[in-house]
Amino acid sequence: MDVVAAFEEGLGNAASHFQAAFEAAHDEPALRAANARYVGPQGVVTKVMKLMPELPKEQRRGLGQRVNQLKEQIEAAFAARLDSLLHALRNAELSGHSLDVSLPGYGAWLGYAHPLTRVKHELLDLFTSLGFDIAEGPEVDLHENNFDRLGFPPDHPATDMQDTFFMQQPVGVNPRATLLRTHTSTVQIREMLKRKPPLAVVSAGAVFRRDDDVTHSPMFMQLEGFMVDEGVSFAQLKGVLTHFLWKLFGKGIPVRFRPSYFPFVEPGGEVDVGCTICRSWERGPRECRVCKNTGFMEILGCGMIHPVVFEHVGYDPERFTGFAFGMGLDRVAMLRYGISEVGLLYGNDPRFLTQL
Amino acid sequence: MLASHKWLMEWSGLSLAPSEVAKRLTSAGLEVESMRACGENLQGVVIAEVRAMRAHPSRDKLRLVTLFDGEREQEVVCGAPNVPEPKGLVAFARLGATLPNSMRIEERKLGGVVSCGMICSEKELDLGADEDGILLIEVGAGRVPGAALADALGLRDTIYEIGLTPNRPDCLGHLGIARELCALLDKPFAWPSPSLPQRWLSAATTAPTDPAQAFSLATELGAKPAQTVSAEPPVNNVRVQIEGADRCPRYAAAVVAGLRVGPSPFALRYRLHTLGLRAISNVVDATNLVLLGFGHPIHAFDLQKVRGSRIVVRRAQNGEAIQTLDGQSHKLSDDDLLICDGEGPVALAGVMGGASSEISASTTQVLIECAYFDARSVRRTSKRTGLHTDSSHRFERGVDPRGVRGVLAYAAALIAELSGGAVAADALDVYPTPIAPKQVRFRSAKASALLGASIDVKTAAGIFERLGCTVRALGSELDVELPTFRPDLSREIDLIEEYARVQGYDSIPTATPSLRPSVEGNAPEIGFVRRLREVGAASGLWEAVNFAFVAPADLEKSRVSTEAPRVANPMTEERSVLRTALLPGLLQNLRNAQRHAQHRFSGFEVARVFAPSMEAVLPAERYELGVLLWGLRQSWYDEREVLDFYDAKGVLETITHALTGSICQTLLDESLDASAPFLHPKRRAAVLVQGQRVGCLGELHPDVRDAFELEGRPVYAVLDVPALLAVAQACAGKPIEALPRFPASTRDLAVVVSEELPVGEVATVLHSVAGELAESVRLFDIYRGAPVPAGHKSLAFHVVYRDPKATLTDKLVDEAHARVTQAAEQRFAGAVRK
Repeated sequence: MDVVAAFEEGLGNAASHFQAAFEAAHDEPALRAANARYVGPQGVVTKVMKLMPELPKEQRRGLGQRVNQLKEQIEAAFAARLDSLLHALRNAELSGHSLDVSLPGYGAWLGYAHPLTRVKHELLDLFTSLGFDIAEGPEVDLHENNFDRLGFPPDHPATDMQDTFFMQQPVGVNPRATLLRTHTSTVQIREMLKRKPPLAVVSAGAVFRRDDDVTHSPMFMQLEGFMVDEGVSFAQLKGVLTHFLWKLFGKGIPVRFRPSYFPFVEPGGEVDVGCTICRSWERGPRECRVCKNTGFMEILGCGMIHPVVFEHVGYDPERFTGFAFGMGLDRVAMLRYGISEVGLLYGNDPRFLTQL
Repeated sequence: MLASHKWLMEWSGLSLAPSEVAKRLTSAGLEVESMRACGENLQGVVIAEVRAMRAHPSRDKLRLVTLFDGEREQEVVCGAPNVPEPKGLVAFARLGATLPNSMRIEERKLGGVVSCGMICSEKELDLGADEDGILLIEVGAGRVPGAALADALGLRDTIYEIGLTPNRPDCLGHLGIARELCALLDKPFAWPSPSLPQRWLSAATTAPTDPAQAFSLATELGAKPAQTVSAEPPVNNVRVQIEGADRCPRYAAAVVAGLRVGPSPFALRYRLHTLGLRAISNVVDATNLVLLGFGHPIHAFDLQKVRGSRIVVRRAQNGEAIQTLDGQSHKLSDDDLLICDGEGPVALAGVMGGASSEISASTTQVLIECAYFDARSVRRTSKRTGLHTDSSHRFERGVDPRGVRGVLAYAAALIAELSGGAVAADALDVYPTPIAPKQVRFRSAKASALLGASIDVKTAAGIFERLGCTVRALGSELDVELPTFRPDLSREIDLIEEYARVQGYDSIPTATPSLRPSVEGNAPEIGFVRRLREVGAASGLWEAVNFAFVAPADLEKSRVSTEAPRVANPMTEERSVLRTALLPGLLQNLRNAQRHAQHRFSGFEVARVFAPSMEAVLPAERYELGVLLWGLRQSWYDEREVLDFYDAKGVLETITHALTGSICQTLLDESLDASAPFLHPKRRAAVLVQGQRVGCLGELHPDVRDAFELEGRPVYAVLDVPALLAVAQACAGKPIEALPRFPASTRDLAVVVSEELPVGEVATVLHSVAGELAESVRLFDIYRGAPVPAGHKSLAFHVVYRDPKATLTDKLVDEAHARVTQAAEQRFAGAVRK
């Protein structure tokens, strides 16, 4: 066969079959293989093109144009087929069954800090942001630190406000020498004995009283704070606590200071905030079991540190003044999480603890 | 403290709405905790007049009474024995009325006769405790048939319940609260006066045996004894002797004779009833009314039962006994104070009277005691004998030593009025060392600085005067004489508080302090314990908070130290010792969870544990971390997976890594037999971080598990927080390693070893022979079964090689790995699977 005939045959063969070959390829590798059979190094068209130099001069131009046209056709067909294959592939990936999204997740093993811990950290953070240090003291402490140095007179009914667990002592030792602290105010004494003003300290921890009913637990959590410096005033106490309560319960909640008595502060007071259950300050008066329709809830005790306390720790009460405050963390946790029984906080029932 | 609104208004001269009183008192520190309206639930109960009475046709005990209730006459059936004669007045509940005890009055047939209403007793109307008969109503203004009972008898009142703080004994009587209200409202206040006695005992029969003790009760009352009578039988003149005036600084007594003991008038009985006391007899009711009125307890002795014409105030002898009014007998100590007559004890001073001289129906002469006892002494006796009375409650808080004569005079006049007795004009008052009022200097500059509010010294002086102080102005300062009825006032700060209290805390501005932060900062343990709790929760556990006290039996059952500090006065044995470990509490939590059919327990606790201290007074306290795991692992897709040793180990690895930067190691350690007997001897390990021992870990010992009646195989881990903190502090500041710049190359290796050989040992050997190029040797599979022989396991490891300074060549890695393989073959008996 002469070169021209061979050229024509190759060209014709390729032109009449490449479409079918591409159609027959059902995935990308097959398509690329088919493509290679025409335009690859060993491909039919490539081989035909290698005949070009041997073609008669006068036919070379015409045949050359035809082979180039064919190559373009093959390239276009390849691109179109590839595109359609990839499309089909993506369509296949995007079709089919939906996930059963109702199946349970595999579980990420997240744990739960105790509500009292969360509230404690939150409150400590608030006071830390105001510049307070954090301190702790022992849960079993001396009678002196829990009562005497705080200005509780001996044999005074004020101690009835805090029915005390005393620790057993060996024979011959004062049977009331040590006790389970009834309040975190012991930390006030310990820190003041250890440090000199100015100081601003907050402390949280377990305290103990002989009380056990729906609203009282024999162990509960208290948070105590105090600040001592020259020129500390009752007005500042009001300022700090109002700021604190607004951060805790939301800006604008009514805050009410009224006189009360704790031996270690004077003037002493209790602080009420608007009842967060009935929110009567926003919604008007209404029946409320929590605040007994008063619109207020008692939230903390406070006052100016009594000069007798300063005398007991060796501070000059003429030079230094200070304020102190204390609150029950249980109460804050119960309000925050809507817990109705204090017992739940210490029952450690997983069904309770994993709800929060 | 219960207080009657009506009484407060009577004694203060004020006219206020109850809600206003409550608001004022609460904002002044006398917190009104609740308010109760009286006489508001008697609709349909009216006064009726008895018109006629006849026998019941069929019942002996019932009678038919014809009543006029203001509208019509009707016949009702009545079973009371004391129906009055015609014209007598009774309380009548009409048809349709509902009584305070919720009884609804309807037509009822009694013995075949229809009764249209009911004649009521005090008890049925909740006006008193008397239920022996119907309430008889004395004739009086407005008491006409048909008048509403509440109006006719003046029953309407509001009773305040005041949560009185122990510093305010002056407000344990209506007098003090009334004075407080007047002070708050800037109104004058005057002591109440009783009705003056009509009859006096002639001086001749009542002259005190010791003239030095005498004072004129008549003068005290501002009365001129007009009509004098002599007592029959003659009054026994009494002499008072105080032994130890430190316990009884003042003792005064008065005599009323020729009296008749009987019931008090209704109004008095009703007042006592609304204030929570039971009416007994006119004399006793009068002493109670004085107690509620003045807050000063008094006592009335039957004078004819006082032996030897003497009252002796002395301490008891050790073992001496007294029988008190309530019939109880008490053995006393020499710390208790007694009131005695010439022969023996007649009262436990300030606490309760004795049975021997009790007022009875036949009493005709009384000796009224009004004394001032030492508060601490009364309190100790009250605590020791367990007698907490209205009297001891007031004495232990402090009554007014200077109010004695006034209270006594009021009491004598009241008793005389109620019982028809004659008052002895001369009374006794033994007061060896009068108690002088305290003087305090008030500096308005100091007060202004402390309160952060500017203070007007004149306003302050006015407040103090209204509270009963005597004030002398000295420029911007005041000399203030403090009233003896306010034992809570003794220094300048007390006056500053009074100023702020009466002005109202609302009147003080709010300010922001300029903060001067300390340089000390927080103790390291504080942040560390916090982080521990956070990481515990982040590790998938929930946090428990258990009581610090536990049952001694639980310590024993959980095999932790039983050397526990004991509570001297526990509420229950279950909470009588301080925990020496967290284990008992967590085991109780687990048991509860199992009882509630829970499937999983993954709890931790960080809290203090206690140990008795040899050298210090206080027990040693130290933080511990306890982790208790049991039950199904958190996966729904494989329900058979149970939490085990390695779950706990994983938690400890997370926690130790987070807190110290190093992952803990676990080690077999025989000493755990002694130090951790609560763990399974074959399934437990010591826990170390950086070579330091910080705790232990293991399955619960089956004995402990059974002692707590637990199911399954709970795993417990415990870390000593101070030890962990020490490691963390030692490791602190370790720099972060730079990331590797050259690639690693990984080869795998499997070794068949005997089942007993720990994986850790194999890994350690492999790592040591692989040389410096080996970065890590990491287990990725354990295979048991053919072709691995029984009793053996095949361990597969990734060995990662890396040269920190250059890219490794295959040749170098092959050489290193060949060494490892060879060493493994030699060391582990050639059982290397390739």
